[in-house]
Amino acid sequence: MKIKVHNDICQGHARCAATAPDIFQLDDDGYILPGDIEVKPGDEDRASVGAMSCPECALEIEE
Amino acid sequence: MRPIPAHVPPEMVGDFSLFTSPGMAPTPNGDPQASAAAALEGPRIFYSQMNTRDGRGTWVVTRADDQRRVLQDPETFSSHRSIFASALGESWPMIPLEIDPPRHALYRSMLNPLLSPKRVMAMEEAVRERAAVLIDKILASGTSCDVMDDFAFPFAVNIFLRFLGLSDDRLEEFVGWANNLLHGDDEQRPRAARTIVEFIRSLAEERRRNPVDDFMTFVVQAEIEGRPLDDQEVLGIGVLLFVAGLDTVAAAIGFDLRYLAEHRQDQELLRREPAQIVLAKEEMLRAFSTVQMIRVATRDVDFEGAPIKKGDYVSCASMIANRDPDEFENPDRLDLGRIGNRHTAFATGPHRCIGSHLARREIEVALEEWLARVPPFRIKEGTTPITYGGHVFGIEGLVLDWS
Repeated sequence: MKIKVHNDICQGHARCAATAPDIFQLDDDGYILPGDIEVKPGDEDRASVGAMSCPECALEIEE
Repeated sequence: MRPIPAHVPPEMVGDFSLFTSPGMAPTPNGDPQASAAAALEGPRIFYSQMNTRDGRGTWVVTRADDQRRVLQDPETFSSHRSIFASALGESWPMIPLEIDPPRHALYRSMLNPLLSPKRVMAMEEAVRERAAVLIDKILASGTSCDVMDDFAFPFAVNIFLRFLGLSDDRLEEFVGWANNLLHGDDEQRPRAARTIVEFIRSLAEERRRNPVDDFMTFVVQAEIEGRPLDDQEVLGIGVLLFVAGLDTVAAAIGFDLRYLAEHRQDQELLRREPAQIVLAKEEMLRAFSTVQMIRVATRDVDFEGAPIKKGDYVSCASMIANRDPDEFENPDRLDLGRIGNRHTAFATGPHRCIGSHLARREIEVALEEWLARVPPFRIKEGTTPITYGGHVFGIEGLVLDWS
């Protein structure tokens, strides 16, 4: 599973990291770091919930 | 009331207003968010003839997805409104709220570090101590209290004062200004606005002369594009801080405690499992959102069939979108464990509430400390809280009892 990160849409709500700080890493201001995220096996559920929590829909889940 | 503009098709005018619809005026035991969300039974977008505090009409965008499109498109839907200054007959922007991209990013990146998740974590101990002191005082003086007057407002204002590097002794005065500004009549409002402007100006002047480690010192020393901020920019930033963080946080705490007073099982759940509060407060932020975002069209645009004209106001009320059934399953039911809760209580787009991280922490800490210290509570018999809609939704007369 992969999460496509749309940095241009991220507005620093930090909801993804509130769900799974180890999966979604933020910069010092609370915006997601650039680069798509390869989700480790076993982390899929938390990654999905984190991505779904984004009010901007900046995190796209790719199976 | 202003006439309906000629370009608005009569069939697109809706009988709805966040200020005058049923449940928006002060209402005993009301549910203003549910009342506002009744707009979801209507079309995706319609025109409301009276939907701002100064009596203007707006388009009303009801669906969560459409609101996101408006708020994420600042080129078409501008934030430049000068709402605070206009109360004084002036026209300077609150910063960064009323500045559009690309200039917005200059101010935003300057201010972001002051309210980042990391910075808020460092403030937490002080926030928690403040909540504890206020609650212990309440417990020492009896078995009931007025939540807004005795806890929510003093708590929010206190944290604001601390942020500004000011002591508590002016707390009452600040609460008064904030109340008059947000809920006062046509005379009180401009008077409070002028008082706040004078206060911010003199505080900025003082911090220029005697810098300390606080917000206003940071602002008067900050630079953009290689120059210090001018007086109007400093004022625009200071005023926004004042108006944005007081009422909103206090109202959220009030609505949450009222809900928990009326839903004993949920109260018991959070009391037993305080770790659930972090997620539960998100659900309560969703269900009890308090603000509407208003944008101004920068060009003529057709939006879901609405012929929006340049200069038209477009309202994105968070309390409507946050009950959109296409976005949230069973939106009118509170599910304190709701996951993937992408509510927009703090807006979306570049103007996402810059204080959201602090506000979230304040609300969490308030609920944690309240539930840890106050015995099982309910609405005091013979009292009725009053709720209201409008510019910032709120609640007053919320008397809780734990005798």
